Amino acid sequence: MNTDLVIGMAGSGGDGIVAAGESLLTAAAIEGYHGVLTKSFGPQIRGGESSFRLRLSTTKMLNTGGTLDIAVALNWDDFLRFGGELPVDGHTTVLYDSITKVPTDQIPLVGVQPFEVIAVPIEQMARETGGSERAKNTVVLGLMAGWLGIAREPMMAGIRKRLAKKEADVIDKAVKAFHAGFEYAEAHPLTSDRKMAPPSKSGAKFVVDGNDLCAAAAIVAGCDFFAGYPITPSTEIMQFLTREIWKYGGTVMQAEDEIAGVGAVVGASFAGKKAMTATSGPGMSLKTEMLGLATIAELPLVCVNVQRGGPSTGIPTKSEQSDLLQAAFSAHGDVIRPVLAPISAEDMYGITIEAFNIAEQYQSPVIILSDQEVGQRKETAEPIDASHQHIINRRVPGPQELEKYVRFRFTESGISPISHPGMPKGNYLASGIEHNEAGAPTANGEMHARMNEKRLRKFRPLLDRRDLFIIDGPPDAPIALISWGSVAGVAIEALQIAQRQGMKVKLLVPKLMFPVSEAIYADFFLSVKRGLVVEQNHQAQLFRLMRMYVDVPRGIQTLAKSGSNPITPLEVVDRLNQITLALQQGKDREPSEV
Amino acid sequence: MSTTATTRPIGDYTAKDYKSDLKPIWCPGCGDFGVVQAIYRALANIGRPPHEIAFVSGIGCSSRIPGYTTAYGFNTVHGRALPIAQGIKLANPDLLVLVAGGDGDGFSIGGGHVAHAIRRNIDLTYIVMDNQIYGLTKGQLSPTSRRGLISVTSSLGSMEAPVNPLLYVLGYGAEFVAQGTPADMNGLAKVIEEGIRFPGFAFINVQSPCVTYGLEDQQLKAQKSLMQTLESLNHDSSNSLAAMELAQQYGEKLYTGVFYRKGTPSPTFEGSARARQQALGAGTRARAQVMDLFKLKK
Repeated sequence: MNTDLVIGMAGSGGDGIVAAGESLLTAAAIEGYHGVLTKSFGPQIRGGESSFRLRLSTTKMLNTGGTLDIAVALNWDDFLRFGGELPVDGHTTVLYDSITKVPTDQIPLVGVQPFEVIAVPIEQMARETGGSERAKNTVVLGLMAGWLGIAREPMMAGIRKRLAKKEADVIDKAVKAFHAGFEYAEAHPLTSDRKMAPPSKSGAKFVVDGNDLCAAAAIVAGCDFFAGYPITPSTEIMQFLTREIWKYGGTVMQAEDEIAGVGAVVGASFAGKKAMTATSGPGMSLKTEMLGLATIAELPLVCVNVQRGGPSTGIPTKSEQSDLLQAAFSAHGDVIRPVLAPISAEDMYGITIEAFNIAEQYQSPVIILSDQEVGQRKETAEPIDASHQHIINRRVPGPQELEKYVRFRFTESGISPISHPGMPKGNYLASGIEHNEAGAPTANGEMHARMNEKRLRKFRPLLDRRDLFIIDGPPDAPIALISWGSVAGVAIEALQIAQRQGMKVKLLVPKLMFPVSEAIYADFFLSVKRGLVVEQNHQAQLFRLMRMYVDVPRGIQTLAKSGSNPITPLEVVDRLNQITLALQQGKDREPSEV
Repeated sequence: MSTTATTRPIGDYTAKDYKSDLKPIWCPGCGDFGVVQAIYRALANIGRPPHEIAFVSGIGCSSRIPGYTTAYGFNTVHGRALPIAQGIKLANPDLLVLVAGGDGDGFSIGGGHVAHAIRRNIDLTYIVMDNQIYGLTKGQLSPTSRRGLISVTSSLGSMEAPVNPLLYVLGYGAEFVAQGTPADMNGLAKVIEEGIRFPGFAFINVQSPCVTYGLEDQQLKAQKSLMQTLESLNHDSSNSLAAMELAQQYGEKLYTGVFYRKGTPSPTFEGSARARQQALGAGTRARAQVMDLFKLKK
């Protein structure tokens, strides 16, 4: 019996790979299992290669694990294109379609001897029962239901539901294809044990992905306006809002370009409404000037960057964490823009609410630094009750303040009450040009310095927001493990494994990436002699960012890799083992340079 | 918030109510002085209180203009006044939204936005102060500069043809297109007022001369003898083909008045958005309900 299984499947675009992964996740979730599903595609719009990784477990996991327990190849060319995204090793069960005519002892996995290799007549069964090769994915679902011993009923129900509008004949064929797979599995038991242990009774109730959840959370937060330009892998945010936001009185405008998208959002915020835009790396580059305008005009807005491989067009469909330094520093002038990074799809809810709250409270653009993995993976999640959500709205001037309204008044907090068009006596000039307290343009150096001081000082309370960090493990541990964004889910599991192995490790995951809270990092590093920063980019961007603001111990190393190959918990544990060993031997190694 | 609160009854406003205390930094004799006066007069005739007006601009001499009014002003970044103004109007359709800028703002760095503002037909009034030169940065070539112009960035003469702003917007389907000049203040105030009253995107090109870097034949004095009202030509402003024919003369002739006003204006974006919100029951459900979409469906 297994409490945790990782399944990977690849085929060509028309094979319904993603639909199969989603069906399996949903059906398992209905039975009470936890799951994380990632999809990966080639660049083609139709056809091309397509794959999923699905991790099913009896307890909550925040990553898709390491090597595959079960690998399914509908054809080998497409499977091999995913390389390290679908890693196979000596414990993997490999299934493939016998129509490929590859003998089981000659599968094209160089240097790997899987635990068992099985050629299954998947396409043949699909044709015989479903009437065409299009039923291949349904046959595979039947195989999984049989070999994993789960989710037979919900999967059948799912098939009936998905095809509800089709003719009875079509449903009948699909059910037959599913049964064919299931019966094949029953008749051909695996050598390895791939049965799932029963789930805990209180199963998850939601299936979410980061992009949809971001859009929904924006509605909860009070967002009334979205404008953006389609860009992979963020577009689902706009697509969700174009379906839903009208029902809550909001509006979506598909802009002519990235600049107009954020520009309209700046305008909507000036008009007093909560507003959001979403994009990915190339769009962030284009939006940069407009974010500077929102900073100097002190207008709240939320800008989501669902990161993908960069620079330039890079790898649009795959995850990376290489825009951190851009998020923190791409402004001209002296600027702080708060940057928040969610660690999972489920986490996107809280992060989005927080982003709107911070934007409104501090009258500033806030960047949500998501990534393709968080944005597009599907996860089981606990139900979210949004009915009592704490929401912050910008502070508007009261009647007395309006008697002699001064928009950019110097206050103790640096935050000045903000009016908006339509509010009598609140009239003022907002501008990208430096201005005095009343909003009149100025080129006076003294006023510029005071305004900069005001606009930077107002963020100070953010530096005490310990709730925007995950800190776990014994406070006196000498070894630190640090990670962020979707890769934090890997670090969280690595911490559990390392602790079980007796290592003295503690974990820090910042969700507030910028401004950098020197005090929170300094506290954490007090006991630390050595450690590891894990992130999915080449330059170790979080490590560099920390070193700019914090006295980072010399013994901190990096595990930094470009996307999109997953970093696995065991890979992290291996490095922690080496670090533990070095600490015990008292070696004073210099921190690694990238 | 509702914007119907007015401090005084409509019709009780004068031009002075729209003039702010900020002193313009324009050169003495700049055409933009006339434009801002014409805007005060048009706004007084319309009678909306200043706090219900949002006035958006980009960067350039002319883009200083919102600060010289008592409206809510937004002096934004170069070329992006239109997207920002659209966001304002969509966020609060009850506002009167004016957009102003120069020819560089509207037809060079921000040229790409004009087509889309027209196609969305959001009820804005876009006033371009077209002086055929970059004044704020001291005399460089602009997108409407005539071919052959000698300037500090075309010291041997420009090799490019000018953009024709009138044909540009007519070509993209703008439903209200007019031209004016501060050389005819009554005519200018009138077309601005008509543009504001037009229920959709309205474009007004203003031949507003640069007194410092402009050419002699572009100055107000020269304009007075060159200009010709479209009315005097018996132009039918509901005829878009005739409007395009006349607009061809941009740079040659100085026509003033309304080139085109569509007889039956198209629906506005914000009008359609409101209808959609109402049809989908906006305001009848709690925002938290959106989370129901994630419930597992058995």
